[in-house]
Amino acid sequence: MNNPPIVTQGLSKHFGKIAALQDLSLEIPDGSVTGLVGRNGSGKSTLMRLITGLYLASNGECRTLGEPAGKLSSENLSRIGYLDQEAKYLDWLTVRDHLDYVASFYPQWDKSLESRLLRELELSQGTRVGALSPGNRQKLGILIAVCHRPDLILLDEPASALDPIVREQVLDFLMGLLVDTTRTIVVSSHILHDVERLVDQVVCIEQGRLLANLSLDELQESYAEWRITARHGALPNSFTEPYVLEAHVNGQQARLIVQKPEAIRDAFIEHHNVDISERALTLEQIFPWLLKKSA
Amino acid sequence: MLLILDRHNGIPAYRQIMDQVKFQIAAGKLQAGESLPSTRALAEQLAINPMTISKAYSLLEHEGVLERRPGMPLVVSSGSGNGQPQARREQLREHLAPAAVQALQLGASPEEACEVFKELLANHHKQGNTET
Repeated sequence: MNNPPIVTQGLSKHFGKIAALQDLSLEIPDGSVTGLVGRNGSGKSTLMRLITGLYLASNGECRTLGEPAGKLSSENLSRIGYLDQEAKYLDWLTVRDHLDYVASFYPQWDKSLESRLLRELELSQGTRVGALSPGNRQKLGILIAVCHRPDLILLDEPASALDPIVREQVLDFLMGLLVDTTRTIVVSSHILHDVERLVDQVVCIEQGRLLANLSLDELQESYAEWRITARHGALPNSFTEPYVLEAHVNGQQARLIVQKPEAIRDAFIEHHNVDISERALTLEQIFPWLLKKSA
Repeated sequence: MLLILDRHNGIPAYRQIMDQVKFQIAAGKLQAGESLPSTRALAEQLAINPMTISKAYSLLEHEGVLERRPGMPLVVSSGSGNGQPQARREQLREHLAPAAVQALQLGASPEEACEVFKELLANHHKQGNTET
């Protein structure tokens, strides 16, 4: 395992009086696929731009590939692939010419990966970039971000403009191609359904602050839904255990949201004399609890 | 080996891999000594991080289900109980446990629940026989 390719220490970014990021300290592990999640305006894109050196930190530090992000060497810059949400393209060029133009900056440009992606993503090379639909523009952005086979790939909302029907297909195909132990990928999205499919590490930010940085496994194992029934008589009106986050009690039955289900299940069954049907929660269902924990 | 991941059911991917490998071993679909796909190949097939596969594989190794020999692919361990009644029973227990709890939550008596289960088995058996 190599050094983490992204390390931030007390990283803050202010725009005038607005604090877009506050005191963010985190490490993104080498070889991971990290999902950067948070609501719109939480600071995801700001963080991406700080990592790539497009923004300079107001306070604290961000190191990317071992260097201060604001002073990345051209060698390290060529190891980064970045899809900016508001990327500008050369609208008067055809897709073909645009790709050739970008490729000319990178000796390591992978032609065969390029043609595979063009084919799979059904992007026509003769179209002028300015005439592309938002979805196809985004696909062009993906190609530009990955065809030089970078070690660090940052995709800011890569699927936001894609048709929901092809979105999963495109993302799965992309990940199948890219995932590699030597490559680190950071994908931001407010579509948790996409994130859940793709990532193994989750970084959650809210109002510019770090709420959580943990593996998807841990996150999924941290919460569960319990449908419980009393074995005899009625259930208590409420459950005071700190790990019970939510309870809807209805006579002999209840639906609970609990934390760390594995550790507490047996004791709970014995103490309350109940039967439990457990269900795992999706990231979408877990997310509000992450937000509440911080409030 | 056919593994199918559901990435939206809230169950960690490494867990799903472990469960399915164990299931296939207990069902005798994976034989002792049979090798598993490499971490890389399986990661590509499932479009997930190779580290997730490594995690599942090493936990299975730790449980004695898989065996690693230096320089060789991982194989199903001879002590994994593949196709053996004991491994099968363990799998059955795991899969039926949620149904048992739900039967209790419905207020069914053990006899009633067993009766339904036997009925279901008989039905499937019959369907299986008419198909062949």
